[in-house]
Amino acid sequence: MTPGGVKAIFEPKSVVLVGASGVKERAGMAPSMIFRSVIHNMLRFYKGKTHIVDLSGRVGTAVKSFRQVPKKQDLAVLVLPPKLVLRHLRKLLDRRVRAILAITGGYTREQRGELLRMTSKQGVRVLGPNTIMGVINTANGLCTIFERDIMPQRGNIAVISQSSGVGAAMLDWAWFYGTGISKFAFMGDRIDVSEAELVEYLGGDKDTNVICVYMEGIRDGRKFIDAVQKVVGQKPVVVLRGGVTQGGRQMPSRAASFAGQDKVFGAAFERAGAIRVHDIEELFDVANALAKQPPMQGNRVAIASNVGGPAILAADSVYREGLVLANLSDKATKTIIDRYPEVDPVNPIDVATDAKAERYEFILKQVLADPNVDGVMVINMLKSCLLEPEGTRILAEVARKFKDKPIVDVSVGGVDHVLVSEVLKGTNVPTYNLPDKAARALKALYLYGKIREKVTRE
Amino acid sequence: MIGLAAARKKVAEILASVRKDGRRELMEFESKQVLAAWGVPVNKTELARDVGEAVGRAREVHYPLVLKIASPEIIHKSDVKGVKVGLGSEFELRQSFSELIDNARAYKPNAKILGVTVQEYLPPAREVIVGTLQDPFFGATVMFGLGGVWVEVLKDISFRLAPLSVDDAREMIHELKGYPILAGIRGAPPVDMDALIDIIRKVGQLAYEFPEISEMDVNPIFAFDEGKGAVAADARIILGESK
Repeated sequence: MTPGGVKAIFEPKSVVLVGASGVKERAGMAPSMIFRSVIHNMLRFYKGKTHIVDLSGRVGTAVKSFRQVPKKQDLAVLVLPPKLVLRHLRKLLDRRVRAILAITGGYTREQRGELLRMTSKQGVRVLGPNTIMGVINTANGLCTIFERDIMPQRGNIAVISQSSGVGAAMLDWAWFYGTGISKFAFMGDRIDVSEAELVEYLGGDKDTNVICVYMEGIRDGRKFIDAVQKVVGQKPVVVLRGGVTQGGRQMPSRAASFAGQDKVFGAAFERAGAIRVHDIEELFDVANALAKQPPMQGNRVAIASNVGGPAILAADSVYREGLVLANLSDKATKTIIDRYPEVDPVNPIDVATDAKAERYEFILKQVLADPNVDGVMVINMLKSCLLEPEGTRILAEVARKFKDKPIVDVSVGGVDHVLVSEVLKGTNVPTYNLPDKAARALKALYLYGKIREKVTRE
Repeated sequence: MIGLAAARKKVAEILASVRKDGRRELMEFESKQVLAAWGVPVNKTELARDVGEAVGRAREVHYPLVLKIASPEIIHKSDVKGVKVGLGSEFELRQSFSELIDNARAYKPNAKILGVTVQEYLPPAREVIVGTLQDPFFGATVMFGLGGVWVEVLKDISFRLAPLSVDDAREMIHELKGYPILAGIRGAPPVDMDALIDIIRKVGQLAYEFPEISEMDVNPIFAFDEGKGAVAADARIILGESK
């Protein structure tokens, strides 16, 4: 099989979109509505050529027969019930497609087997079936989901999800918060293209800098580990797993009762060098940090805050994540006091409530240049302080000058966080509404530093 | 230790003979034969079919010794009062032999009893467990923990996929909450970490090379003080359904 097949799923030059608008709605599935919504999204977003085939012959922009579609199409997107897929597969394969994205679920074991047999004979790769939402590529506008008009912001985080429900939640999350996405893929039943191949593809994808995976089970665990190991030298892989609390089976020996259990997944992710997270919010918190900031080369964190209490909470969070507070060098301390005698330069550094952008800038530059510091957490309250939301833009400018040390921002609260997020959105500085989340982001950057170091050593 | 090729052959032979016997579970002495062939230190364990043979074996093993019932149908030997520890003389040995057989008969009158195993007695040490499983997603996986309540109640265990590097094995040990017990607290010397690392890696390699070993518990392993090694005192190997 050609590896190009997986590429064709994400980067087709042309797409055949096949459905049957006359198919009656069944419980839980509405192929006609779905078909029309996918057509809508493809015509609205996709920059390549879409050939629409409506086997029922009702959709105006569609042709009725495969013969009316030119040969050699990169990708066929099938929004058809399994029976119709198998009935028309021969005719579709005669059009010489390179890959198939099978949206609909409900296949029997035999039907899955038949789909795989017929396609693999011709070297045609299949994602799915039962992918439900299919694939999004923000670079070429490929969008096979059936939620109309949803296209996430373009960015460099890729997400692959085994579950369409969790995937849909992640998509909604990313869309709502403006998270920069490169690719979205819903894996479905994985009869052909596996997690490992998707990771391998995304590893080589120039638009992707961070790979996020949601999984419950896995098709070929060892292949997945190999694929992740090969990728993590260049880009981090973040994994969220569902089903962690399923109880073990009673087995005669102690070790065997852990077969298929989360402890073993943990060991597998450890070996692979994947960074593990525990919920969707943490997945994006961590992915954002990894996408925007360099890995942290040590565990020493400096906190710079315009308010005292939140800095204390932040210090607790730092230690809870197994990181430590940095001891600033004499040089940095002296430089800061000379310029701002009212500032207490003992970490966590209190830049004082009247600090504006200039003071943050000066102090952050000293701290980031300090060899005793590996990464920085900035806290900026707006309420009860003199800092204006616009003032936080300085963080992005400072971060641009220190590309070898990470900087993350916390604007504690509700409105303050929304205001600061608006300013920092689209910049290289991730911002969080709690110090806990920022500490976890720094921890992920630290872990990734260690993972990369280990990979390059081997 | 014998060469790797010879070790592979020897292990395969033992597993095949158990299968041929219609069993999937190895008896303790068989499990230890497998481990010994694989280079994992085990306490000397000899099968004796009758009391005369036991007395003879005792001369090779040396007193004090441990006596355990040997039956493919008795898994939990202490549950049937099938274990005697610290026998110091031939007199005690003879007495214990008939006692163990009687206890086993009382527990399961028709059980097939091969005899007893005569085993080298190990002085007290910190106890650890090394186990393996064949995970449905990731294959051969190794578990490590402290023995007794630590694994039983606190579930203080670590996992790695086989095969393991030296670093992997060391991390498994360090990861335990109870690690300070192995590192030595209140003036106690550390246990022989290198010996544990070696056992963890070898047991992992065994499960990796023989996927038909579906489960294995090497428990307890006596971890002696630094420089004094570690020895498996009991072991259980279970084979998967035959193909």
